[in-house]
Amino acid sequence: MQDFDIIVIGAGPGGYPAAIRAAQLGKKTAIIEKEALGGTCLNWGCIPTKTLIASAERYHHATQSATFGVTAKGVTFDYAAMTARKAEIVDKLSGGVRMLLQSNGVELINGTARFEGPNRLSVLQPDGTTRWLSAVSIIIAAGSDSAMPAFLPKDKRVMDSRAFLDLTELPKKLLILGGGVIGCEFACMAAALGADVTVVEMLEDIVTVLDRDVRRVLRKRMETLGITLLTGAPLTDIAVKKNKVTGTFKDQRVEGDVLLVAVGRKPNTALLDLARAGIKTDERGTIPVNAQGRTNVASVFAVGDLVTGSIQLAHAATQQGVTAAEAAAGLKSKVERICPACIFTSPEIGLAGLTENMARQRGIAVKTAVFPFSALGKAMTAGETDGFVKWVCDPVTGQVLGAQAVGCHATELIAEAALAIRNELTVHEIGNTIHCHPTLSEAWMEAAHAFHDACIHLPKR
Amino acid sequence: MAQAVIFPKLGQTMEEGAIVQWLKQEGDPVVKGDILFEIETDKANLEVESFFEGVLLKIYVREGVTVPVNTVVGYIGAPGEKVPDQAPKPEAPAPAPKPVASPSPTPAAARVPVAEPAAAPAPVPARAPVPAPPSHPAPQPAKVPVPAARLVISPRAKTLAQSACINPARITGTGPNGRIVEKDVRAYLAASGYDALRITPAAKRLAAEKSIDILTVRGSGDSGRIMVEDIERAIRRKPVALSRMRQVIARRLVESKQTIPHFYVTVKADITDLMVFRSDLKARGLNYSVNDFVLEAVVLSLEEIPIVNSVTDGQTVSWRGDVDLGMAVSVDNGLVVPVIRAAQTLTFSELSAQAKALAEKARAGRLTPDEMTGSSFSVSNMGMLNVDQFTAIINPGEAGILAVSSGRQEPAVVNGEVRIRSRMAITLSVDHRIVDGAVGAQFANAVRSKLENIELWKSLV
Repeated sequence: MQDFDIIVIGAGPGGYPAAIRAAQLGKKTAIIEKEALGGTCLNWGCIPTKTLIASAERYHHATQSATFGVTAKGVTFDYAAMTARKAEIVDKLSGGVRMLLQSNGVELINGTARFEGPNRLSVLQPDGTTRWLSAVSIIIAAGSDSAMPAFLPKDKRVMDSRAFLDLTELPKKLLILGGGVIGCEFACMAAALGADVTVVEMLEDIVTVLDRDVRRVLRKRMETLGITLLTGAPLTDIAVKKNKVTGTFKDQRVEGDVLLVAVGRKPNTALLDLARAGIKTDERGTIPVNAQGRTNVASVFAVGDLVTGSIQLAHAATQQGVTAAEAAAGLKSKVERICPACIFTSPEIGLAGLTENMARQRGIAVKTAVFPFSALGKAMTAGETDGFVKWVCDPVTGQVLGAQAVGCHATELIAEAALAIRNELTVHEIGNTIHCHPTLSEAWMEAAHAFHDACIHLPKR
Repeated sequence: MAQAVIFPKLGQTMEEGAIVQWLKQEGDPVVKGDILFEIETDKANLEVESFFEGVLLKIYVREGVTVPVNTVVGYIGAPGEKVPDQAPKPEAPAPAPKPVASPSPTPAAARVPVAEPAAAPAPVPARAPVPAPPSHPAPQPAKVPVPAARLVISPRAKTLAQSACINPARITGTGPNGRIVEKDVRAYLAASGYDALRITPAAKRLAAEKSIDILTVRGSGDSGRIMVEDIERAIRRKPVALSRMRQVIARRLVESKQTIPHFYVTVKADITDLMVFRSDLKARGLNYSVNDFVLEAVVLSLEEIPIVNSVTDGQTVSWRGDVDLGMAVSVDNGLVVPVIRAAQTLTFSELSAQAKALAEKARAGRLTPDEMTGSSFSVSNMGMLNVDQFTAIINPGEAGILAVSSGRQEPAVVNGEVRIRSRMAITLSVDHRIVDGAVGAQFANAVRSKLENIELWKSLV
């Protein structure tokens, strides 16, 4: 007889929904967390960054609204107050997670878990004692941590995103290593608050998961915000001076008060002692799983950032967690294939399904249909005419296989696209669906018409 | 004068074939030795080179069309020269091309010159008389089911069936002469539960595009909704013609099982000592595979027991004389059996070298048809495929085949004690019309005792 039906390791956005779903299905469930309930997303990721970005946007609007007929004098910001607000929201949400787990009867165990076998774990608790646990199924949801390459100087001025969020003062001059999603989000936030930001990216462009036309809009806006984007070569000769960090990009000297390192995330698999349960990992330390999230060991599932090929987004982990809990309870659930992604840069970006780049790499023939915000009334009223929406379609059936949106509220707009892609709609249904006027969502309908060159609100080509 | 390009006869038994790919197009300049096209025969793909110089004036036989050997497939001549619009009959190839300068093909590269029709019946190598194998009808192209008679259906009914993505052939018509009218389609849809079908818009468009009857498709989506993936599965369910190689395999296997009464004898050879001997040889720089030892043991046994190297047509029995040893080699999507001619005349090292060379040619798809016909007994070795035991089907025209399984370490009784020994199951399939149980057992044990006799191998190496 095992202690539990299901034990979940990690109470982040993959783990806590898995535990709640398992409990809903009548399983005796425990969840093990070594730090804070809610994991990276809630404590050091999605939620805190979006709180700071909201503050930065307020400030930006307050100071940049003259064209709307609004001027404000003497607008200032208090970064410490912004971070205090962030802490308050994080506490509230973390408390919410605790309440949800408890109300479902999930046992919370504080400590660091380690595998002792395919059904057995030991948990090193904060008081130094070890607790031994067994379960019919174990779901690994231990997440990931910022990668800090070994060549970087070990100094408090060289920090990952988590340490950056603990700062109570915004650096005046910010150097960012890595032009991916995280690097660009922090760059836009700091620049909106007036910081002097330089981003260095080794690849040819920033956020290369996006199609080139989307990147072009982002790049232009970031440069308008005063951000220096240095791409196509590594940052070298990184050195910490008395009160700054310096480096070299090609022949150019770059510096910042601090260096924010955002070069990717590594899976938290090392501490778990996976080999003792015979769980396979690949060369990057991530865990290969099947369509239900099951590892090579039948009693063990893995979800979220530490899964091979994972998209490393909170909502992806949540869906995987729920699926794994259902699979562990004997249901036939499968992980969803369409996972939208949102990027909180300025402007925002949303994407779902196939991009043109992916289609090209996989040799899939596609036809795109685009509508620019500059031709949309609502975008003009909001003063947000940068960007566009794009459908990536099957050229024969018009099925929408993918979508990208770049512009104001793109992270909200992508929800409609994800629904359409997941349910295999074609441009015909989308074009025939009445969208409210004046709203930004009209862009999806107009772009669907563009598939047949039948846009009402674009001049004839 | 324009020269006819003839579809070559590449083996004594070859009657027809198809051009897989033209490497020259009409109007392309051609020099002697250029590869004109690639052909697919019963046995392999081969490149055919030109013996003429000029311009490819005309192509009569398109890719994928099966034609008899000696068919005129095109013309080469001076630019602008007139050639017939229709291909001349193969019996009377109009302008006879010049005799081939060097009649020996270059089998090493498996590039074959265009044979001239007059020389078609290739000289038969002197060999013991072989009873004529039963003549086989040429393989028919796979039949794709089509409605037997033309469907009598009204235009309105047809349109409705098309828009519903169903096949009207299954509807009973109530109109004059059984004509299907609109109300028949509606009644059919109502009776077949069509209204309860759920299908995504993209899946329905794809079904219409590919003429898939959606009543035959099972949905895998939410609540059994038919998704694009399900239609793609239905498309893949449509019959696809077997490759010519598989058609030949199918025909020959059916013929064998229907006309040859098989019986089977299995023995286990103890190859422990042989494996030690083999690694000793390896240490001396002599590389022999287990298969080489099996082939040699079979050759010696066939010399001892000639009836197994014979063939019967039910009325007569003929000894084959030479041991023309067939060796099954698996290739992409098929199996070929290259032949080691007069294997009884070869030394052990020659046998090994020939087996290796033929296997390599087989995997490269470069065997000529004559290298794959006329074997008198065959060996099929699945030793590398981790099998305990299997039985093989006799090639028509032979009396037997030996199936060789994997060597395994297992407990065996040696001098009244249990020891760990390497043993390998070998199963003889023989034609019971000429080989009885006692002889089959004698042959299987002859092969076994040779494999176990290290003194024998010392004398052969």
